[in-house]
Amino acid sequence: MISHRQGNAQRISALDERAEALHLKRDMGIADARAMHPSIDIVEADPEADRRLLEGLADWCDRYTPLVALDGADGLFLDVTGCTHLFGGERAMLDDILWRFLQQGFDVRAGLAPTPGAAWAAARFCGDRIVVSGEEEALLAPLPLAALRIAPETRASLESVGLRTAGAVMAAPRAPLARRFGATLLLRLDQALGRLDEAVSPRLPVAPLSVERHLAEPVTLTEDIERLVGLLATTLKSDLERRGEGARTLALLLFRVDGAVSRIALGTSRPMRDPQLIQKLFHERLAALDQDIDAGYGFDLVRLSVLAAAAFDMAQADLTGEVTDDGADIALFADRIRARLGEGAVLQPVAVESHLPERAVAIVPFSEAPRRTTPPKRPEKMQAPKTIFPPERPIRLFRAPEPIDVPATEMPEGPPLNFRWRRALYRVTRAEGPERIAAEWWREAPDDAAASTRDYFRIEDAEGRRYWLYRQGLYGGSQAAPRWFMHGVFA
Amino acid sequence: MAISAVARETVFALRRQIAKIEGTLPERLQAPVGAPLDADADADLTIVRRGLAAALPDAFLPIGVEPLDAALSGGLPKAALSEIHGLETRDAGAVAGFALSLTSLILKQAQGLPVLWIGTTEIFREAGFPYARGLQVSFGIEPRQLLFSEAPKLVDALWVAEEAARMTALAAVILEIRGNPQRLDLTATRRLHARAQSAGRPVFLLRQAAEPEPTAAPVRLIVSPAPAVPRETVAGPLAGSIGRPTFTISIGKSRTALPGQFTLEWNPDERVFDERRGEERRAKNPVPVVSLSGGRKDPAAASGAVLAFPAPRSSDAISSATGDQPPPGQRPAHLSPRRAG
Repeated sequence: MISHRQGNAQRISALDERAEALHLKRDMGIADARAMHPSIDIVEADPEADRRLLEGLADWCDRYTPLVALDGADGLFLDVTGCTHLFGGERAMLDDILWRFLQQGFDVRAGLAPTPGAAWAAARFCGDRIVVSGEEEALLAPLPLAALRIAPETRASLESVGLRTAGAVMAAPRAPLARRFGATLLLRLDQALGRLDEAVSPRLPVAPLSVERHLAEPVTLTEDIERLVGLLATTLKSDLERRGEGARTLALLLFRVDGAVSRIALGTSRPMRDPQLIQKLFHERLAALDQDIDAGYGFDLVRLSVLAAAAFDMAQADLTGEVTDDGADIALFADRIRARLGEGAVLQPVAVESHLPERAVAIVPFSEAPRRTTPPKRPEKMQAPKTIFPPERPIRLFRAPEPIDVPATEMPEGPPLNFRWRRALYRVTRAEGPERIAAEWWREAPDDAAASTRDYFRIEDAEGRRYWLYRQGLYGGSQAAPRWFMHGVFA
Repeated sequence: MAISAVARETVFALRRQIAKIEGTLPERLQAPVGAPLDADADADLTIVRRGLAAALPDAFLPIGVEPLDAALSGGLPKAALSEIHGLETRDAGAVAGFALSLTSLILKQAQGLPVLWIGTTEIFREAGFPYARGLQVSFGIEPRQLLFSEAPKLVDALWVAEEAARMTALAAVILEIRGNPQRLDLTATRRLHARAQSAGRPVFLLRQAAEPEPTAAPVRLIVSPAPAVPRETVAGPLAGSIGRPTFTISIGKSRTALPGQFTLEWNPDERVFDERRGEERRAKNPVPVVSLSGGRKDPAAASGAVLAFPAPRSSDAISSATGDQPPPGQRPAHLSPRRAG
């Protein structure tokens, strides 16, 4: 028995058959129930876990149709339009769903109807019923008002005026109903009867292409899964070729016998359709996820979907059959690294127009870096003129400038004589500078422009190491004393 | 006039025997003038034997400084793993700078190919992330030629490096590791070396604050920073200015060279190495060596056994033997490189 807190009292929110046999009911107080039967076992409700379970079931239902939507806390909508023939018709499909859920230990009720509203009513009030098109009215007419998916208050007020079944509401004139009970009632009614379309919004985006293989004997070994991926990718290739596209994002769905679904997604830097390459990428991904994927009793359905596709440029091979494309190797290499180590494993710097050293280079993942394109014919008007002598910049930059202790400087505005960095004392033998770099005033309005101004010095210490230090803030005035930072090292 | 492999093998065997009698290292056999080894071979052909295959001198990347190239018998091997050590993490700038200079030399021949720099999160946090603007200014490596790979774990970094080492589409691979992790043992370096050999691309293994360990890399160089020469102006050297990047290179391991020390200067404009010219400005401003930790006593003696070639004696011997410059100042004993075979 599961309890939940409502108001100030613990109440029964769900109970099993044995509890029902004891004449316990939902919404009964726990205290009353305990008084009747002291030996009952009570568990606190966990809506989060229920939600997770429902999502897991929704994932599993993905095997029937890609359009699966959650309905409240205890229901699932499956849009099976065009899918039923794959399972041998509507009846066979419904039986299959019910049987498989029963095998997993779930007690489910299902209904199949041309509209979501009618299916909802059929599942909840008739059970295991298939409604063909045109029969919705006959189905709904004898059902109570709750079958119309309306708010409890509306239901109560409808009942108070004597409309106790859906049929009675349907027979009543529409204009007064809308005036008195709001537009929602009629909307729900029309949706259930198919006069208005109701879209089921799927949980997950629907893949434009996907291929799958049902297995009579479940597979458990990673090698087998990889081989299956190769087979599926071969099938996928002809589809992609017909569309003139290549896959940019791929997802592999593994449906376990007992209902758990593993979803493995990976992205590619370039549109891809070669089955061997796809298999290679999934090999890396599966190797990285080896610990996380629990094959259990095996997977009985493997599906490979293309979540995103892009136009695929065919490359002309030369006479020896070699396609000369340097970038392809690199892209494939980056994809493999990414598949195993994650999105940020291969990075590329991109020069940004900024004079602040840390903003002048953006480090982006390889897949997001702008690709080299053919050079523009005319020089771009917006491009800033290049300086002949670029300023000296360090070869390594600390991610966050590290504060250093500077006991003394020769002149107030000058370089330090010595400094302490990471607990070691460094003696400055030579210094070049300062190079003043001010904050970007157009970005934000700093409280004090002088406080964020930096004076950079190139420093050489006694051992010959060269550093890039800066002093933040200016001397004088009422500001706080300037602080010193280590920002980078030179070669 | 191609000669058969058997005949060539016989010639090599005979040369080896002669070398043994004469006491020369077999790797540095000088082919006699006019030797009928190859039709287009140079007169002063140096045969370098690696395993059973003989490699020609274009397998080397000449560094461009005569004594160092001579010591390494032609330069750094191009298709191999090369270890570049730094004694302390704060030398990371010099170590990375030297590796990037070598990369820049390679990029002169392999134009437009990208360079992959792999590091662990630890080293990028401790020593700083490579800064593309600086690399462009100092070494002419365009940002779009650069690829970085940051792995939180050493295992992953090694895996990326192994995958990258077999790529021919990369100009060079730089792998940066800090300290002496257990994972980076002889086997790991052997795997990297084998892949680099088969791909024909160099792999630079930068090891910051690392002890010399047995390695499969044919060459280990120890890089430390050196004070730069002042900037040259029309009116002579500009006092107090910091000129071109300068490095002190010691050969820690080489199959052909004896340990030695060289001071190199990188010319960022022409992208070549020069031997350091000009005076050192050190004597003018003598600085006592400061202990690493201010509050404590002398730093503890470095752990690990000091193997063959104790530092001062060997550098003296080499400087007289190869005629290079004297070492730049006496370094404290605990900072001097230890050398292992």
